[in-house]
Amino acid sequence: MFEVQPYVDWFKWDDSKHPLSNAPEPKRRFIPSKSESKLVNKIKLAIRKGLIKPKKPKEEEEEEESVYPLWGDDSNSAGKNDHLSYIPAPKPKLPGHEESFNPSLEYIPTQEEINSYQLMYEEDRPKFIPKRFTSMRSIPAYENAVKECFERCLDLYLCPRVRKKRLNIDPESLKPKLPNRNDLKPYPVSCYLEYRGHGDAVTSISVEASGQWIASGSLDGTVRIWGVETGRCLKHWKIGEAVKYVSWNPNPEHSILAVSTGQDVLLLNTGRGNEEVQKSTKELLSVEMPMPDDSGKTASSVSWLQDDQLEGIRLRHSKTVTSVEWHRKGDYLSTVMPADILFAHIYTYFYIIYYFKHDTDGFRAIFIHKLSKKFTQTLSFKLQGPAVTSVFHPTRSFFFISTKKIIRVYDLVKEGKLVKKLETALREISSIAVHPSGDHIIVGSGEGKLCWFDMDLSSKPYKTLKLHQKDINNVSFHRSYPLFATCSDDCTAYVFHGMVYSDLNQNPLIVPLEILRGHSSTNGRGVMDCKFHPRQPWLFTAGADSVVRLYCH
Amino acid sequence: MCASSRSSNVLSKFQIPPFPSPPISPDLAYPASLTILSKQNPDWEVEPFDFLINGELVRMSLENFLLAKGISAETILEIEYIRAVVPRKEEEPSLHDDWVSAVDGSSPRFFLTGCYDGLGRVWKAAGVCTHILEGHSEPVSSVSIINPEGADSVTVATASKDRTLRLWKFNAEDTRRNPLKISAFKILRGHRASVQSVAAQTSGNMICSGSWDCTINLWQTNDPVSEGDTVSTKKRKTTGHAKESQSEGEAVSSLVGHTQCVSSVKWPERETIYSASWDHSIRRWNAETGKDSLNIFCGKALNCLDIGGESSALVAAGGSDPILKIWDPRKPGTSAPVYQFSSHTSWVTACKWHEKSWFHLISASHDGKVMLWDLRTAWPLFVIDAHKDKALCADWWRGDTVLSGGADSKLCMTSGASVL
Repeated sequence: MFEVQPYVDWFKWDDSKHPLSNAPEPKRRFIPSKSESKLVNKIKLAIRKGLIKPKKPKEEEEEEESVYPLWGDDSNSAGKNDHLSYIPAPKPKLPGHEESFNPSLEYIPTQEEINSYQLMYEEDRPKFIPKRFTSMRSIPAYENAVKECFERCLDLYLCPRVRKKRLNIDPESLKPKLPNRNDLKPYPVSCYLEYRGHGDAVTSISVEASGQWIASGSLDGTVRIWGVETGRCLKHWKIGEAVKYVSWNPNPEHSILAVSTGQDVLLLNTGRGNEEVQKSTKELLSVEMPMPDDSGKTASSVSWLQDDQLEGIRLRHSKTVTSVEWHRKGDYLSTVMPADILFAHIYTYFYIIYYFKHDTDGFRAIFIHKLSKKFTQTLSFKLQGPAVTSVFHPTRSFFFISTKKIIRVYDLVKEGKLVKKLETALREISSIAVHPSGDHIIVGSGEGKLCWFDMDLSSKPYKTLKLHQKDINNVSFHRSYPLFATCSDDCTAYVFHGMVYSDLNQNPLIVPLEILRGHSSTNGRGVMDCKFHPRQPWLFTAGADSVVRLYCH
Repeated sequence: MCASSRSSNVLSKFQIPPFPSPPISPDLAYPASLTILSKQNPDWEVEPFDFLINGELVRMSLENFLLAKGISAETILEIEYIRAVVPRKEEEPSLHDDWVSAVDGSSPRFFLTGCYDGLGRVWKAAGVCTHILEGHSEPVSSVSIINPEGADSVTVATASKDRTLRLWKFNAEDTRRNPLKISAFKILRGHRASVQSVAAQTSGNMICSGSWDCTINLWQTNDPVSEGDTVSTKKRKTTGHAKESQSEGEAVSSLVGHTQCVSSVKWPERETIYSASWDHSIRRWNAETGKDSLNIFCGKALNCLDIGGESSALVAAGGSDPILKIWDPRKPGTSAPVYQFSSHTSWVTACKWHEKSWFHLISASHDGKVMLWDLRTAWPLFVIDAHKDKALCADWWRGDTVLSGGADSKLCMTSGASVL
């Protein structure tokens, strides 16, 4: 045992009366420092020159931070912070009476109910089945404790709560705003007239410029002329070969109908119009003598023959002609002979010869005929692939030729200079139509798609619409109303509002208006051709069921 | 109860009319004395009646009518009894060789038809053809009797798709077994496209014609001496082979304003010409000055037009839709039709007011039906479904017979539809 020494506090707690040194305060301590004033001057100059910008006082933010809702909802204030923030857990349901260890008897499910839970799907079963215990002691341990702990850990690890950014946008507002259909009247709606008489599919129709008559050509080898308002067949020719295309001369001074059948293009006198028209037509449709062969290449490929039986001119081509288009003045017409796929398939031998020939004297697929001089001109454009259709520009000297994928625009005055090349990205072009202004083109394709080209905009389509289930056979613009139509093998014709504005900044407005039904499918073909009435908002459709229908507004 | 003037001496029993069968409810009261009358004599004929309440025909049970019109059942109703307009007899159709395109029954002695074989025909009665008007090279599109009330010699005009109109004279009284073929005494040339419609002035001195060349031409009908001089020498050469009796006429004046085919013209008064066109408008022209004083825009291409009804001022027109519309041009500043009848299912090709009645008009349509309309109800009074193909023309004859021609080359007559 030892005695504890008393604690001696050696430290002097109160200040000493005298400092350790008695030396006076040095002068230095009262004189401003030179080096510091240099530094200050430097900073001052820098501030004046604007090299240093003083920090703005952050009074507002400090104030905001100083007061914050302690008891407020966490979820709202957390949104402002850009750092990782606390996401509150969803509030669990508060326990009720049934979760008590000794609930009232009405909460306890009967045995039948428990059995019925077993029949339910696992997701639908109630998570908690109330049980009754007489005392707290008899409550067993929670059987899912370990499992739930594990699942919670898995949740935290694998799928932590994430704040989902949900856009609060009305889906209706995302739809393009189209004008009401009723404001875009008139447009063809219902079929009132049918033109019956053909014995086979009607392949092509054409409306006379005044809108009094239409002509139709059919696979049964006849061409018929109908009165529009009565549906009466006024005239018919038996040509004997399936008619591919009919086209009425746009000039009201001539009553001439161009018909393509097989290798021939027939120019027929329709017999409409007054005496003067008849006289000029007859003069035009007489060939003085069969053209001698000495005129060179042109005569060898196309010959102008007088057809006394049909009272017209027969233009004999070397291959089958698919389409005939008139120039707006009615003096020129263009014919298209697509490359002979027949040759390719049947006579492979000839095929080679044919292409050999083609390489030597150019691709002769398109001819332009001048009616008044009975002269045929070959257009030797370099098309990569067979030509499908050709159209004249409605106002200028342009000429559109479409191959299966590309449409080329040539200027006929400048010796066939390529003006534009339109790439459709379609698999197979079947038909094209030019807007009466000449700046817009619609293209129908074999896979049921329609392309709208704005010539001023680009060489890519302004709009591509997937419309029909089957091939589009023809497309057509109205001459005066802002309407266009497509017809397809799925037995429907679609009518659109296609408004073109003179303001170059405004894009064309395309509104689907109506689906016209009524034709029935024959041999897998539906509606073969559609043409608008030149003055009324009416649409003529030619069906493979040998009927021509008129849809009126 | 206010019975009409005719029903004061009615000796008949009421029954449900056989035609569009307005189901008359048993709670419709009628005087007990009438029922007693009907039982007295079995020889009295059955007469169908129609009932008017507030100027509207009752086409349903009285209860439904009151509910539909919102009339209180407490008020005293004035029911007017009128004889129902029901066709009694369908006569034998008059057969033609081709489509019947036009019919005119304005003369009580005969009626005139135009046909697609280029001939006009004059009929005394159903199936009795007295004259054949021969000369047009293309279908006749319209016919008009110029002086229906005139003496034995009658003048008629026909318009054709061969761009001419022809005037014909024949004696309406002569009867013979075989139809007499006659040729025109005057050929009117001047239209540049097919003529669609012809109408005569009430005095019979002039006719007007509408054509596909968008013009309406006015022609003189009688003064052959002066007309012969005006024919130019060039014209004469071209038609030198024509008979001497045939003279040629030229248009007196031309009304220009329509932009498309003038499909129908009417000349109801001395000064006024009405025309309907495919350019969606109806115009009223002053025949003297050649200016249009009225322009009703209706939105559809029009095929037919007629003037009649209340004080002969209402304009009925039908066109490229199944709706027959009636305008009242006396109402200023409106182009909305006052009545619309829409029971047809295809284009309306002809419409014709009854001459005497204010309320009745008939219409023909491409659906082959001819309907009689009463302005006082929206349903047709009766439907004549005699044509197997399109009905192209219709007219009244002798005030109680409906004539209609169609694309089945028949002219159907339904008589006994007494309107008054």
